[in-house]
Amino acid sequence: MDLDYSMSELMAVAGARELKDREVVAVGLGLPVVASFLAKQTHAPNMTILFELGVIDPEPIHPGVGLADPRVWYRAKVLSSFTDILGTLLHNGRVDVGFLGGLETDQFGNLNTSLIGDPRGKFRHMIGSGGANDIASSARRTIIIIRHEERKLRQTISFVTSPGYLSGGTSRQDAGLPGGPSRVITDKAIFGFHPETKQMMLLTIHPGITLEDVLGNMGFAPLIPAKVPFTEPPEAGQLKLIRETIDPNRMYMG
Amino acid sequence: MSKLTTLADAVTSVPSGAHLALSGFAITRCTMAFAREVIRQGIKGLTISQCVGAMDADLLVGAGCVDRIIYGGGSLDRYGRLACVNRGIEDGSLRAEEYSSLSVTFRYLAGALGIPFMPIRSLRGSDLARQLEERSGSDVAMITDPFSGETWLALKPLKPDVAVVQVQLADEEGNAQIMGPRWDNPEQVRASKRTIVIAEQIVRDEVIRSQAELTVIPGLLVSHVVEVPYGAHPTSVYGLYDHDAEEVERYVEGTRTPESLRTYLDETVYGPKDHWGYLASIGGMERMAKLRADPSLGY
Repeated sequence: MDLDYSMSELMAVAGARELKDREVVAVGLGLPVVASFLAKQTHAPNMTILFELGVIDPEPIHPGVGLADPRVWYRAKVLSSFTDILGTLLHNGRVDVGFLGGLETDQFGNLNTSLIGDPRGKFRHMIGSGGANDIASSARRTIIIIRHEERKLRQTISFVTSPGYLSGGTSRQDAGLPGGPSRVITDKAIFGFHPETKQMMLLTIHPGITLEDVLGNMGFAPLIPAKVPFTEPPEAGQLKLIRETIDPNRMYMG
Repeated sequence: MSKLTTLADAVTSVPSGAHLALSGFAITRCTMAFAREVIRQGIKGLTISQCVGAMDADLLVGAGCVDRIIYGGGSLDRYGRLACVNRGIEDGSLRAEEYSSLSVTFRYLAGALGIPFMPIRSLRGSDLARQLEERSGSDVAMITDPFSGETWLALKPLKPDVAVVQVQLADEEGNAQIMGPRWDNPEQVRASKRTIVIAEQIVRDEVIRSQAELTVIPGLLVSHVVEVPYGAHPTSVYGLYDHDAEEVERYVEGTRTPESLRTYLDETVYGPKDHWGYLASIGGMERMAKLRADPSLGY
């Protein structure tokens, strides 16, 4: 099946669709930036975008190499601090949505950005938390964006850097944590979580992908409802915005 | 009172074994010139803390100056990971206490406010908390809120010996102004016993007074003030200069293996006599001029 969009573009659009007008969104770099700016420039003009280091509502005109690049702070309405953004806004319950990526996630949406291997034996250390654990702990809901590969969607992950639903059921709540992941967006499908067991549940499959592609490339079996529709493809206007305005140099979309 | 001194003199005030809070964030406003001078002077056994690990901490770890790091994870943004920090964690030569960014910031905040602990929602249920309980034992604990009866994770205050902060402007007394976001720098300075200010430019106090709302560091907390233009190179300083992409890539290549690191340190740290020698060795004013920021953009 020939598609006139890439899977990265579909993922960014799917991310944007999860965001509502007037919501406050904590964003890391990469696809979430594209998703957030796309939402803000389409159906959610009153959304607020936060970067953890102290940036509110920037309007970058040049792509940056990361959150530490002043290119992504351009035209911000507020330049402040971690205490301001992750403290008074996030920790105080004022962030609706956090976008998170990672090396691995499991069926309860726990995320690893710390290490690969055995933490008590041989391992490779990667990045760690940054603000990810804080966002996963205090945002009203989180959206996980991750590649759909068996080594990334695993039965057991090497290290829980950022909590999802921990061991499922009420375990997250019992740990004193509000919220939790609402969606997992991969390049093959979109998942939600079962309201009680908190297991990952298949919601939609991207056009051109089969159920076998989805299940054959993950290390655990998600819940599968009787009806699994296709993910709504990106609209022409959304693609135009991504390609011409938000990420013309394909810095984030690869 | 003027606290203006040389970089070498300010660095000499740091004893081996001290705990330093550094102002860098990934590849911006890193205390690079300071770190290079620490390495030249052979100061060892340091503890470094930062809410996001950055190139300044990584270089010091690579040069063998650091025994312990207290940080919230970190990277060089798109350029890669903190190779020296990661190698130290993997081979066990670096004692790492790994938090989230907000929990390190809250530890500084508790230190800054002089309160005995700071409750936080972060870390709970994660392997970060489990690892911290195993490794440091006494720096995180569970407590009961005396008002609601709820359980919270409590963080011990962090009180570094010295905060070292790279800023845009300061006067001779150390009143220092930071343009752009300030991440954990305000709390680092207030939690630390004293602060060394590394300023891109020293200005008359008239300049500071005329825009006092930009002052992030009050001079009364400062022990040494040093003027070091391009002191964050190859990382950026908002409003003044961009990060040097080629030199950041050279750092990434240079820190890839212990062998390549020796060459990198010889060329960029031990070879040049001081910061001016360092700048000359990589192309001097001609190179720096290309990095200068457009005032309307900030980069």
